Amino acid sequence: MAPNTPAILFEAQSPVPFPLAWDWQRRLQRRRLDDPSTPDAVLLLQHTPCYTLGRGASLSHLGFDPDQPPLPLYRIDRGGEVTHHGPGQLVLYPVLDLQRHGGDLHLYLRALEDVVLAVLQGLGLEGERIEGLTGVWLEGRKLAAIGVGARRWISQHGLALNVDGSLEGFGAIVPCGLAGRPVGQLADWLPSLTSEQVAPLLLAAFARRFGLTLRPPRPEEGLGES
Amino acid sequence: MATHEIFMPALSSTMTEGKIVEWLKKPGERVERGESVLVVESDKADMDVEAFQEGFLAAVLMEAGSTAPVGETIGLIVETEAEIAVAKASAPAPVAAAPAPAAPTPAAATPTPAPASPPPAPAPAAPLPVAVPASAGDGRVVATPRARKLAAQLGVALASVRGSGPNGRIQAEDVEQATGQPVSLPRVAEGTAPAMAVAAGNGAAAAPAAPAGQAFGRAGETVAFNTLQQAVVRNMNASLAVPCFHVGYTITTDRLDAFYKQVKSKGVTMTALLAKAVGQTLARHPQLNASASEAGMAYPAAINVAVAVAMDDGGLITPVLADADRTDLYALSRQWADLVARSRSKQLKPEEYTTGTFTLSNLGMFGVDRFDAILPPGTGAILAVAASRPVVVALKDGSIAVRRQMQVNLTADHRVIYGTHAAAFLKDLADLIENRPESLAL
Repeated sequence: MAPNTPAILFEAQSPVPFPLAWDWQRRLQRRRLDDPSTPDAVLLLQHTPCYTLGRGASLSHLGFDPDQPPLPLYRIDRGGEVTHHGPGQLVLYPVLDLQRHGGDLHLYLRALEDVVLAVLQGLGLEGERIEGLTGVWLEGRKLAAIGVGARRWISQHGLALNVDGSLEGFGAIVPCGLAGRPVGQLADWLPSLTSEQVAPLLLAAFARRFGLTLRPPRPEEGLGES
Repeated sequence: MATHEIFMPALSSTMTEGKIVEWLKKPGERVERGESVLVVESDKADMDVEAFQEGFLAAVLMEAGSTAPVGETIGLIVETEAEIAVAKASAPAPVAAAPAPAAPTPAAATPTPAPASPPPAPAPAAPLPVAVPASAGDGRVVATPRARKLAAQLGVALASVRGSGPNGRIQAEDVEQATGQPVSLPRVAEGTAPAMAVAAGNGAAAAPAAPAGQAFGRAGETVAFNTLQQAVVRNMNASLAVPCFHVGYTITTDRLDAFYKQVKSKGVTMTALLAKAVGQTLARHPQLNASASEAGMAYPAAINVAVAVAMDDGGLITPVLADADRTDLYALSRQWADLVARSRSKQLKPEEYTTGTFTLSNLGMFGVDRFDAILPPGTGAILAVAASRPVVVALKDGSIAVRRQMQVNLTADHRVIYGTHAAAFLKDLADLIENRPESLAL
């Protein structure tokens, strides 16, 4: 992989409903599959409140009737158990050709953890990994959830970092199927911190870790609305 | 008529097994080439597994929810709808013994265990929906990658082995049990260890006395070239019109050997390692991938590493590992096992043995310490790989040490490839093998 390969950055200005962001990712993935010369891309956004379930996820981690969820519930094509998305949580969805980034899904998960760890370090916080539990943790609380899917090594989904939202939505589920492991957010440690402040840090850490130079989409690369 | 296996893919170099999350197709359903057939999960990552052939999903050998080691066959795809029906109709009860076509009864040296009911294989809890005999109508044998490799190493004909796995699939243990049978296949070009090591693993007592060297005729006879041999004659004669030269290099393999030991259990073969190393180095030295044509120097669109394999009947075939620079090591290993198995049973398609852009010839497993190879037509270079052997070497600091080294010898068409090209290629190849063999798995 050449250092500083260009990659397209799509940044949403207001919270995006999950199905729309999912559709964007699939379109980017499709483009990439149809034309391998398409550059890497990444979406940075926040979601309107919802729950998502990985493809192999168990319904037993839901604290509610899946037919009558308190928030929209989506079963999606990523690995992992149930999680919650909402405003105040930064979501990064890289659509990368992973064969150019090591061709190794486990390494990719570790690299996404690296990105979050670097953001935390920049804020003077020392996040940590827990062996066997993908994600990033701070003092026993889970700050970032990670789950990815790939088709022909083109990735979708990615990481969700809790910054300054309401964590209430996590109360109705066992996040990632891990009972007894609370969820936290950066504002618990740095109360004045906002998602808007963290967003550029997250993008910079991501670009550095993957050797990418982020640029806005050209007109013909647009996703209709973003 | 052919059956294609779906393998548990390696999503990571650290992955030893994967969980089948979901079959996106049901047995009997049509599958397009490139269409997702199932989803595999490892840790928090999902990967869609796609069909490499179009056809029909004939059998799901591992149900959703179950876990299988990397490289394990988890499903079967057949080419036509009729084959599913045939498979279904001829299918005995699941896991019944496979018909062993014209199997020579093993000599009574070792009592043949004839399991009336097969051992309880670590099969998924759910019953298998479709059963397919190990020999799927067309004489194609269904065996695990490990069994295939073992069979090749031990010289066991898979067609004569009784499979004890799901749907009569041949497992490694079945091959081991069958080693008492007459050796009918040559050893595959695997590994650079001297031949003695291979022979030792063979349980030397089992092999019946046979002439040491292969011959096509008896003393006093003249035997006409068969078709395959005629093809070899033509290719060899054609090479006389090519101005070739040779460049040799000695490569230290201690790190490669150590790395090979680590990944061997994941089904990686030395052939795949060497092909991958050559492929990656060719990507940086496109001149070595080029060939002379009437119009000038031809640069192929892809790097396809062909590997020479001797056939029992006097043919010489060069199955091709396509895109060897870009295909991951585990996929290359599986492809190679499949290519070797099918080349032995004459089931390779022409594009699977004629599209090489660079050739690898390995006699290392016979203990050969150096040789040179003749350039196959239509390509610019071929690399002859000899055995890796412990050698006393003087290190840079003047101290003396024992290192494992192998000699490689490049034959190149001087119209396209010059001495400096060859030297730079060999230097980079040596650097990769000596200092960064682990990167072959990335």
